[in-house]
Amino acid sequence: MFWVNPLALFALAATAAPILIHILIQRRAERFPFPTLRFLQPTRLASIRRHVLEDPVLLAVRAAILAAAALALAGPLLLTASRRQAWDRRIVRAIVVDGDSSTAALAPGGEGEQRAVMMQRQFDGHPLADSIRRAALWLETSPPARREIVLVSPMPIGSITHADIAAVPGEIGIRFQRSVTLPPARTAAAGHVLTSDGVRAREVTLTGDRTSFRDVDVNAVPVWPIDVVSGAGDRPAIDSAIAAVRSQRVWSAPSDRRARVVLIPASTAVADGASDAVPITVPWMADAVVRIARDGDLHAVSRSVPAGLADPRFASAPWQTLAVAADGRPLAAAAGSSDRLLVASSADATSLASPVLLRSIANAIAPVPDLQAAEVMPIADEVLRQWSRPPAPVVSPRIDTVEQDDRRWLWLAVVGLLALETWLRRLRPTAVERRAAEDARVA
Amino acid sequence: MTVSTACPPEVLAQISDLELVARIVVEGLVSGLHRSPFHGYSAEFSQYRHYRPGDDLKYVDWKLVARTDRVYTKQFRETTNMASAIVLDTSGSMGFPQAGPAPMTKFRYAAIAAAALAHLISGQGDAVGLLGGERYMAARAGRQHLRGILAALSSLTAGGTWSVADNIRRASERLSRRGLLLVLSDFYDDEERTHAELKRAARRGHEIVLFQILSREEIELPYGRDLEFADLETGRALAINASLARRSYTDAMASFLERWHSRAGAEGFHYSLNVTDTPPARALRQFLLARVTR
Repeated sequence: MFWVNPLALFALAATAAPILIHILIQRRAERFPFPTLRFLQPTRLASIRRHVLEDPVLLAVRAAILAAAALALAGPLLLTASRRQAWDRRIVRAIVVDGDSSTAALAPGGEGEQRAVMMQRQFDGHPLADSIRRAALWLETSPPARREIVLVSPMPIGSITHADIAAVPGEIGIRFQRSVTLPPARTAAAGHVLTSDGVRAREVTLTGDRTSFRDVDVNAVPVWPIDVVSGAGDRPAIDSAIAAVRSQRVWSAPSDRRARVVLIPASTAVADGASDAVPITVPWMADAVVRIARDGDLHAVSRSVPAGLADPRFASAPWQTLAVAADGRPLAAAAGSSDRLLVASSADATSLASPVLLRSIANAIAPVPDLQAAEVMPIADEVLRQWSRPPAPVVSPRIDTVEQDDRRWLWLAVVGLLALETWLRRLRPTAVERRAAEDARVA
Repeated sequence: MTVSTACPPEVLAQISDLELVARIVVEGLVSGLHRSPFHGYSAEFSQYRHYRPGDDLKYVDWKLVARTDRVYTKQFRETTNMASAIVLDTSGSMGFPQAGPAPMTKFRYAAIAAAALAHLISGQGDAVGLLGGERYMAARAGRQHLRGILAALSSLTAGGTWSVADNIRRASERLSRRGLLLVLSDFYDDEERTHAELKRAARRGHEIVLFQILSREEIELPYGRDLEFADLETGRALAINASLARRSYTDAMASFLERWHSRAGAEGFHYSLNVTDTPPARALRQFLLARVTR
């Protein structure tokens, strides 16, 4: 049994009220002025005797009225077999549709199954993982029934992961329905790259499980997005490093995404170019810091640099460590500024760490092309079968989603008991009248 | 002849004008009585005096005018052949029952009876006096005196302690000659002392009439639950169950009433038990009939 308002069960204590009233009323003898006490002999008080309840049936009925009312307020819900069967016979369905889908795809299952559908709602399936989470949340607030999510999608690899499926509550069924067949090959634009010769547009072609790309010349002025601040003697080495990075082709950043690298000798304090550091608040800068910090090549080469930044301020806010030198100090640290990402580094201009850091920064500040939409490989049918599951029967429904509880029966019982109480009271008119007459005399 | 005009006690209890109440009671009382229950009225010639303007012409002695050519009027000295004193118990116990919009308390009942008796006695030309509470009015005749007695009765209330025995002695000593001593009380006071004073008054030649006034409730104790009985005179309280105490109470009450009845009979007192749920006229009528036939 479940209770909609379990706190109302505290009202059951009210059933003690009639008993207490009965006992308290009987305890006190009313003061009664009388001409003389000379003929009155002391007797025991009847109220002591009347602690034994005078009319237990009437008292029980009154207590039952209060108890039934308290239980009705608490909103009981009896999980009977028929109620469970009724819930199990109906289906609440969330259909997550990724892209164009036919009408048939929106009405999965046979005719009988369609008749059992109590509620159905369609969710836009882009991105698919988010849509599954929204569908699961909606199903959790739906009335008790068998609940399922139907995914209607081409099911390309990467659109759903095992983690997305595991996040769906176990009693919610999952069914997959491929809407269309993916093409064998697909070519998609994948942004621009910066080369030694200028800017090139990259085209990616996905064919089965193979990926190929082609860079096409475009008529655009190449803009190197990173300013390097260093000593005058380091300029040739810096230029060589930048040339080396461009020869390897890095992603081309938009003109509003800029960075400044300040090369600081290990023994010196904060240089002029890094003095305007502020905490990072711009999203692309934050993304860039995360991506630089994950660069394996940068971490590998940083361990070969003997000394990091000596100034302890680079190890605390607003600076964030990107890589650590051999002495444990930051080799490179990043912070924000008004218009660009600031990176301070103790790497020597001639060391290998400098071009690796520049490449990492250039790739990090550029947007990464999303090729998910161009995916042509579907998730294997075997995997989808493993992820599929039928909707489970209702075991313990969320009490706030139940359409109708059993309190109406208790209210009916209250009405019936009230009628019974009235009948019982009228059954004893002699006692009542006797008491009333005595009250009148005493009054 | 039966009395059909006896006014119910609850109606009398709601009329505040005691003179009117007395008249109502007497009206129901005397109908059917063919002669006065008390001794008759008489007046003795005293002297002549010169007529003065305004004198009633019926008192002019016309024979004397014819003989002497002077106008004289006759003066009379009123005489009574009986003096009576009403002793009205004003102790707190007479204030029972207290509840209700206009309760017919024992005191109210006794006051009505006393007013009716005073009205009757005075109407016969006899002298009547009153002793109740702190008020004492010597026995006199006349309407003005009757009104004074009725006003005094209206002003009296029941409360506190009041010795019936002491006041019987006071009343009997102040009756200058043999008279009628009417005592209205519940006689809850000291029985022996009260009885002794009554006997002393009887020895002085007074005729003793006892009206014992009680309510039905204090005779039958009809209550059926726990009550804390509080003495109206002393304030002492006793919490008991009334239904359990009823048997012993009614036995004791019956013995008490029997004692008063037998003692009064033995001493030649006129005794009547008056319950407040019977019309005062009916109770007084029995007494008056007994006197008439004496």
